Amino acid sequence: MHIPDGLMDPLVAGLGWLEFAVVAAIAVYLSGRKLRDKDLPRVAVLCAGVFVAQMLNFPIGGGTTGHLIGGALLAIMVGPVTAIVGMTVVLLIQALMFGDGGLTAFGLNAVNMAVIAPLAGWGVYTIVKPLVSRGTAGPGKAFTPGEAFAIGAGAWASVFVAAAACAAELAVSYAISDGAYGIAATVSIPAMLGYHAVIGVGEAIITVGVAAYVLRVSPQMFKSTNREPAKAAGLRGMLSSRIVQATAAVSVVFALALPLYFLYSSEGADGLEMTMEDAGVAESEPLLTSPFSYGETYFAAFFAGILGFLAVGLAGLFVMKVLEVRRPAE
Amino acid sequence: MIVAHVRGHHTRPEELDEHARASWLGRIDPRAKIIGVVVFVVAAALLTRTELILASLSLAVAFAAMSQVPYRHLARMYLGALPFILVASASVALFAGLERGFDMWARTSSCVIALLVLASGTETFELFSGLRRLGVPKLVSTLLMLTYKYVLILGDELARMKTARRARGFKGGRSILDRRSLDVIGNTAGMVFVRASARADDGYEGLRSRGFRSDMKLMRAPRLRAGDIAFVAWFACVSSILAAVQLGGVG
Amino acid sequence: MKVLDIEGVSFTYEDGTPALKGVSLSIDEGEKVAVVGPNGAGKSTFLHLIAGFRTPFEGSLKVMGERLEERTADQVRRHIGLLFQDPDDQIFMPTVEEDVAFGPVNLGLDRVEDRVIQALRCTSIEDLAKRKPHRLSHGMKKRVAIAGVLAMEPELLLLDEPTAGLDPRSRSDLIELLRNMKRTMLMATHDLEAAAEIVDRVVLLNGSVVFEGGLSELMSKDDALERAGLEPPQIARLFKRLGAMGYGPQGVPVTLDQGVAEAVRVIEREKGRSRGRND
Repeated sequence: MHIPDGLMDPLVAGLGWLEFAVVAAIAVYLSGRKLRDKDLPRVAVLCAGVFVAQMLNFPIGGGTTGHLIGGALLAIMVGPVTAIVGMTVVLLIQALMFGDGGLTAFGLNAVNMAVIAPLAGWGVYTIVKPLVSRGTAGPGKAFTPGEAFAIGAGAWASVFVAAAACAAELAVSYAISDGAYGIAATVSIPAMLGYHAVIGVGEAIITVGVAAYVLRVSPQMFKSTNREPAKAAGLRGMLSSRIVQATAAVSVVFALALPLYFLYSSEGADGLEMTMEDAGVAESEPLLTSPFSYGETYFAAFFAGILGFLAVGLAGLFVMKVLEVRRPAE
Repeated sequence: MIVAHVRGHHTRPEELDEHARASWLGRIDPRAKIIGVVVFVVAAALLTRTELILASLSLAVAFAAMSQVPYRHLARMYLGALPFILVASASVALFAGLERGFDMWARTSSCVIALLVLASGTETFELFSGLRRLGVPKLVSTLLMLTYKYVLILGDELARMKTARRARGFKGGRSILDRRSLDVIGNTAGMVFVRASARADDGYEGLRSRGFRSDMKLMRAPRLRAGDIAFVAWFACVSSILAAVQLGGVG
Repeated sequence: MKVLDIEGVSFTYEDGTPALKGVSLSIDEGEKVAVVGPNGAGKSTFLHLIAGFRTPFEGSLKVMGERLEERTADQVRRHIGLLFQDPDDQIFMPTVEEDVAFGPVNLGLDRVEDRVIQALRCTSIEDLAKRKPHRLSHGMKKRVAIAGVLAMEPELLLLDEPTAGLDPRSRSDLIELLRNMKRTMLMATHDLEAAAEIVDRVVLLNGSVVFEGGLSELMSKDDALERAGLEPPQIARLFKRLGAMGYGPQGVPVTLDQGVAEAVRVIEREKGRSRGRND
């Protein structure tokens, strides 16, 4: 998912930098207030852990392998805000040490893997966990099957949503640049989503495995960040509630995706008209015209569909959660 | 994406830093290097006209040739990035014409080559200190430097664990359905984290016992020299010409 | 001048396990003292407590006359150089030179480059200045860590198991280095052989102070050694055996030099005896 330079439309890359700069500034400010000097080596070793864990390849089948991204894992261990800073650090080291991922594209890469992945992963984990974590852990197990499911769901979602964002960026780049940048939606969306739906399963299994191992051997690593904040009254109380925070995290993910859609609909309309003209005049003699000209509309529908599906799903979970919270009070 | 996953993350040979210290590029101030390459990459990423893209590609290749970075290393890194670039170029070629596909390949390559020269021709830690002096928040730069330190330690530990795993007959599994091999990988990663965590508390005391106060400081704060300014000026110059021709439609 | 003055210090871990009970110790300038004891006796905790990383505790602890409290820990720590058991815990920078400079730069000391050169010379690693610490051997990493500590010019050196994990050659080199270093130091170790070569005085710690005095005095306390699980130096064991066979030395030698002197004395004595019988 490390996008190199020159692949994305400059407008999309600039949008990525803008979004990243805003989110990173907020995350650095918030975590700077929360983290004391004492916490820095701890966060740093966990970032290093994510970095090193990314070097572990797992088999997919047919001789190919995938590797961990670790956004959800880091977010579950250190909290979402610190995870944004931490994943940014991991990406920066990769870019500066290996030249992985671009400089102009760094904003987008960071939005996908350092912002969207941890926020989506943590959000889904936090919302799903109370719904499924009934019962007690079996003998010799670190946590209940429900909790394991929540961690796995978070990890899978982090990869899938980040891949969806990446595919959308590629597709929008293609659409608004009239084919000079990006990858057509008809290729990028099925390829990215299909592949990462599978990668996500590996990510989920390994994240659960790591969490189980860590909880068994060194449970204090989870304690520090995983305790429910103290109940407070009024607005403060609402803001400190985990479920509100998780909803906020997921909302940020949507907020980050929206400008892309606007960019597409404002610029893309011209692009679409132009390509239709092109197709008619056959000026640039594309090798495959038909899927492309329809692909644009397919893409819009598909993109909206994914957003809608996720929104409905999360809203449903949220409603269930609210009911869940009310029930014991009655 | 796909290809980035398939190749995974590679290791960076130690000799690179020895080379970097001996070459002219390695002696340029990291701030100048970062700014120069960023300016070039930004301009190169803007180009859509074939002749300009070819110009920027030749500039990038010339930069690589002059950089004294071992070309075999650059070639290996570039080949690692190539499949992804080719997939993108091929898909553009299919949907928008061969010329666009070629443009995509050449443009992306010129950016990737320039970045690879920057990353391989400088000690990584130097780049961090350059970022710090360019105004990256101290929280980020401190985390960068600390994380890098632990990456080196944990990376060695992981290599030992992998060897031990192989010595005991672990093959790596065939597919994602192979639960046992995924469990083993999960445990290995878990072990990395637990060892990491065990180091954290001692690491803090180590920092404090050496007077650390929330900012990593360096022994020397180098001043920009003529060579550094010439480096930035050269890249600023060619980049602005490329960008001006592209955006202004001159020629 | 007392560099370290500890009276009745007790410390309990957060989980309620007692670690130290009523420990008193004072160290004069230039003195070298070893804290010995079994694993889990609180040796490391003791050193980290002196370095101000285990607050709050009961009792009184003064370094260079300054009283250590949670509030004053940073200030008091300026007098102290702590060498960790694992050098990876205290090496942070990518080159040896930068790492040695790390402490002085953080403390805002002057003449950083001179201090670095001085510290590197003192630990005889000048030729490693540009190398990467994480690629060095364990013994060399120890030296880098020591140089990093020395560059801060602390009044009191605290060494946590300095000889642990070293190969025989680097171990004896390190012992040589520490023996010739003119500094006040307190080292925690269970390597009595190394302690014998380096220090003037030992403290046997097992939660509280069990014994304090010269090492050869400690050698005669078999039950204390046994309970602490400490292995006497080979030299001491040799002469104890000889003593049991009737070739008793006057005191128990603990270092090689003492052993040689003692052996010569025994040989001379036996020569005199056999000459007496022959006449």
